[in-house]
Amino acid sequence: MKRLTIVCGVALALGAQTAALAQARPDFSGTWRLNVSKSAPNVAGNTPNIPFPSQIVARQTPTDISVESTSIRQQPVSAVYKLDGSKVTVQAPEGISETGEAKFDGPNLVITSRRSFSSPAGEVVVDFKEVWSLSGSALTIEKTRTQSGDTSNSKAVYDKT
Amino acid sequence: MRMKLFATLSFGILLAATVPVLAHHSFSATYDGNKPITLRGTVSKLGWQNPHAHIYVDVKNADGKVVTWEVESAGPTALLKQGLRKEDFVGAEVIIKGFLAKDGTPTVNASSFTLVESKKEFVNEQTTP
Repeated sequence: MKRLTIVCGVALALGAQTAALAQARPDFSGTWRLNVSKSAPNVAGNTPNIPFPSQIVARQTPTDISVESTSIRQQPVSAVYKLDGSKVTVQAPEGISETGEAKFDGPNLVITSRRSFSSPAGEVVVDFKEVWSLSGSALTIEKTRTQSGDTSNSKAVYDKT
Repeated sequence: MRMKLFATLSFGILLAATVPVLAHHSFSATYDGNKPITLRGTVSKLGWQNPHAHIYVDVKNADGKVVTWEVESAGPTALLKQGLRKEDFVGAEVIIKGFLAKDGTPTVNASSFTLVESKKEFVNEQTTP
């Protein structure tokens, strides 16, 4: 009887913990449009420093999040990230190889990826880190790019449509 | 005779007006925003004209082969505004950050660059879409 009580207690505690974790995770699902006026300078348009997509479509479930990023006259980039942080292949335009992973850090979603492609200067490798955070109907993405030992970062704000 | 002269002049004016329009193309039409690149090399030639200055940079690959890159930058007015003169470039070592051309040629659009010796830096501040 005592053993049954302990087993039930542990099961309830685990269930409550899982539910609490699920509740703590914000839902990034939606169609998000870049708000240039609320973003850092040069996130889009001619000669961006770190370009951000003009639109992001995200669909989140308890186990994964699919992200499709599109920009004007640029090939889309999409991926279905497992929220346990395991590595997945990113569907990048032809000529680009990319892998990435996503996991929650408190209320923020952190997506890291490594992109490689060939160029007339040889193979190019770029590392990206994106931190997604929600505030009302606004999505803020802070992006860091590391390439050839140099790190740059920028921030963009998206409105839900 | 007058009609012929008028037609020739009109055609000439139209042609002249088309050249700057072609030269001032959008980033997204020519360059791949998914392919950022950093280059380090020596300026071998300079095209100092509006609407874009063109800097030709000799970059040594990992295999030792030198490739001349065409770097499209902001126009001379914007460069001068940030303290960069034509004389600063020729023979200078530069670090370029930009984006590859979609056509796979050694061409980049510079979002920023640094003249290594003088430490002069240019960051594109253009914000128009």
